[in-house]
Amino acid sequence: MNTLTAYILRRLGQFVFVIFTGVTLAFLITNLSPVDPVEQSLTQLTSFGASDPRAVELMRESLAELYGLQGNLFEQYVNFWGRVLRADFGPSLSAFPTPVITLIANAAPWTIGLLVTSILITFVLGNLIGALAGYFRRSRFLKVLGMVIMTINPIPHYFIGLILLIFLGFVFPIFPISGGAQMNRPSGFDLGYVLSVLYHGFLPALSLVLAGLGGWFIGMRSLVSNVVTDDHVLYAELAGVKGRKIFSQYVARNAMLPQMTGLAMQLGQIFGGTVIVEFLFNYPGMGRLLIQGIYRGDYSLVLGVTTISIFAVAFAVLLIDILYPLIDPRVKLG
Amino acid sequence: MKIRTLFLTAIGATALAAPLAAQDFIAGLPREDTLIIQGPAAQNADWFNLWAPGGGASPNGNQQLSADTLWFINPEGSGDDAWQNALAASRPIYNDDFTQMTVELKDGIFWSDGEPFTAEDVVYTVETQMANPGMNWSAPFTINVESVEAPDDHTVVFNLNAPNSRFHTLFTVRWNAAWIMPEHVFSQVEDPLTATFNPPVSLSAYVLENYDANGQWAIWRLRDDWERTSIGMTLDEAPEVEYVVYRTAGNPDARVIEQLNHNLDVINDIAPEGMFTIVEQAGDTTAQWLPGFPFAHPDPTLPSVLLNNQLDKLSDPRVRWALALLIDIRAVSMGSYRGAANIAALSVPPTGSAIPDYYVPMQDWLIDYELDTGEGTIQPYNPDIAEQIAQLVTPQWGDSIPEDPELRKEMFGFGWWQQDAEAAAALLRSAGFTEQGDGWLTPEGEPFEMTLQVEGDNIPTLARAGTIIAQQWSLNGIPTEVVVAGPTHTQRLDVGDYEAAIFWTVETWGGHPDLSFFLESYHSDFLVPLGESQPPRNLNRWQNDELDAIIEENRTVPFDSPRVAELGMEYLQLAVEEMPFIPLMAYNKFAPFDTTYWTGYPSIENPYSASGPFWSNIRYMVVELEKTGG
Repeated sequence: MNTLTAYILRRLGQFVFVIFTGVTLAFLITNLSPVDPVEQSLTQLTSFGASDPRAVELMRESLAELYGLQGNLFEQYVNFWGRVLRADFGPSLSAFPTPVITLIANAAPWTIGLLVTSILITFVLGNLIGALAGYFRRSRFLKVLGMVIMTINPIPHYFIGLILLIFLGFVFPIFPISGGAQMNRPSGFDLGYVLSVLYHGFLPALSLVLAGLGGWFIGMRSLVSNVVTDDHVLYAELAGVKGRKIFSQYVARNAMLPQMTGLAMQLGQIFGGTVIVEFLFNYPGMGRLLIQGIYRGDYSLVLGVTTISIFAVAFAVLLIDILYPLIDPRVKLG
Repeated sequence: MKIRTLFLTAIGATALAAPLAAQDFIAGLPREDTLIIQGPAAQNADWFNLWAPGGGASPNGNQQLSADTLWFINPEGSGDDAWQNALAASRPIYNDDFTQMTVELKDGIFWSDGEPFTAEDVVYTVETQMANPGMNWSAPFTINVESVEAPDDHTVVFNLNAPNSRFHTLFTVRWNAAWIMPEHVFSQVEDPLTATFNPPVSLSAYVLENYDANGQWAIWRLRDDWERTSIGMTLDEAPEVEYVVYRTAGNPDARVIEQLNHNLDVINDIAPEGMFTIVEQAGDTTAQWLPGFPFAHPDPTLPSVLLNNQLDKLSDPRVRWALALLIDIRAVSMGSYRGAANIAALSVPPTGSAIPDYYVPMQDWLIDYELDTGEGTIQPYNPDIAEQIAQLVTPQWGDSIPEDPELRKEMFGFGWWQQDAEAAAALLRSAGFTEQGDGWLTPEGEPFEMTLQVEGDNIPTLARAGTIIAQQWSLNGIPTEVVVAGPTHTQRLDVGDYEAAIFWTVETWGGHPDLSFFLESYHSDFLVPLGESQPPRNLNRWQNDELDAIIEENRTVPFDSPRVAELGMEYLQLAVEEMPFIPLMAYNKFAPFDTTYWTGYPSIENPYSASGPFWSNIRYMVVELEKTGG
């Protein structure tokens, strides 16, 4: 077995271990939650109507049977793994009998679209500006821009969102503050619908971009500041290599490697959604779905979302681990 | 230089492109024909089966505009006007011992797909749900109904398992009720528990036009044959509202902005501060239930301090009274609602028919009521305390607070208990408690401490009320910790895992004096030990023989008998004497209407309909609104 194969097998073993541990913990935590889905459904059913106590007891029994909550914890755990392997998380308890996977399939495209777009924009902008600021350290414009980014960085993203909502949604009502697309417009890949999605997603995305820019900027500026003093950069400068080439080929490219790990981790986390931004802008997505599931004691749904999220993060880490030796020869395989 | 130019160009291009990307608020719907209402998010938007738990949002127009049943009670009304025959042609007809109920149905009503509505639909509704445990009204039908039959197309006879003078309330809408199923649709599905009923066939004046797969909105259109519905038959001409959009409108701040931008005509609820912002910034284009401060709409529910009567330290009425007398309701009102609360001393919400049926006639009794503290007697009721709250907010809202004292009572409430720490101490001493330093010891010698459970941010006004009451108890020698229970709040209340809590265990019809809606479940037959789930309502776990006697007599009295209100008063007097929980106030909701496009909204001066967007009664508002031409 050569070194690379052994390395990949070790990483695969870690991947399986992370998945097993993460999913098991998620199962235990959600099943030990004090929120009971049957009681939550009963509350919904009896909150507003007259409630005959005898009928409530009968309803409690019927719902427990309907939701299939019989069996001890271990039996439910074994059944759960069986369903996970079939990519079937069973019926949602708060939207019974709709399969959890259907609810996730409805919500996921919105979250993926919003988060992938905003993460990539943040990544590109943050790293670009950070690299430029680290390389062109005397540029006054970049200094001012850096100060602006550093000022925004500590502000919580929900506060940035609230400011954008009031400023661009009310004081200057340019952008919509609610929803994922124009109401009553047929969804599809036509220009009008795509524009509508972009238009409605602008403020949520902008709040995420502004909130996330600082992290990438600071990291990249520090990395570049270190790389520019490396011997190979000095040699290149002494050899008369053009500044633009030194920046793009010698400095930025080397500084990018650790940032790529961070990007993979962030992309892996998108399945958890971004709860506060979705709440603030009434944006459809996984975060809202997860919160509803938690509040309603719908552990099928919560487990579905968290399991997919665990798989995504673990897979992203695996991918980076496997790709790293190929792009960075400094990583030892042995 | 190049970087700066590129950066500034990108910002400029975005600023230019944004207005170009702007679109109509709703595609294809004329705004002037459309009423936009705040709705809930549907977790499973494809689900329109109101008879099975499927995660659909029944209050997104489905139960308000499309479903129908036999009768409605206007929760804002009083007297005969509050009762509305919907699919039924007359009130329910019982035999002498209440073991049989006959219903006469209206003729000429059709489903939106052209099928006639008949008695067979009613029979099918009952029999199908009885045959399918898990359906929403399966349990009450199974318990009550021996058989149901349709002698002809417009008559239904229910034979009951036992006498029940309130059986018709299963089909009487307050917020919702047992809706009638279309037999011709559901008889074709394999399993009524899993059928989505999509698209829904409507029995009322509006039919589904479109909906969002993510549950953000649903659009309902006026039926072409609107006059062939129970509500249509009551109208002289077609409703002016052509489309109704139920949409989630985001967080409370976003709702305020959406209404100020005229994108949301009817709000379900916002914080008091949001309401005040709308009144200040858009008073000319805003209407609300109360014409002036506090602008709110009181729901027929009664937020109270629940006390767990099954705990030893709270089992003595003197202790419960002591806790009540340590509360300064003015501080609770100011702190929770910024004074915009409608306080309540009686154990029914001060709304609808409860004002003429209970609050007005019982004022003298309340003023004269004497409480024996063990060391003397006091008259704890202060009839002027609501007026004092009105005075407290007058510096800020002077112009919008009416002079009429009767109207003021409907805005701020009647009276409440005067805070009296000395009387509270006397009550505790007479109950065997002893003073130690700044605190108290129980008769068993334990420190008398309390926990007060609140739900949390989900209902911020009540969480604030709980915090203030905990402070007041603590300041008066009963250290009280506020417990934020979040989504476990109602579950913990169910099993008695609390000492004191802020919640409501009293809900009424609003438009009718009968209290069976909540009181039936207060009978001791349904009381369970601590740790077991208590049926909804009597979460205080109050047990009292006199209470049982009142409930048992109420079961035998016809719904519209004058004796119903008398029994109601007996219950209210008993609740004052026993203080099983401490009523605080009506559940005030801040629900402003935008009058830019529509006028004629219900108000305290013209309470012809419920105005809460999730209440099924709102259908009567929708068909009465008039265009402004805005």
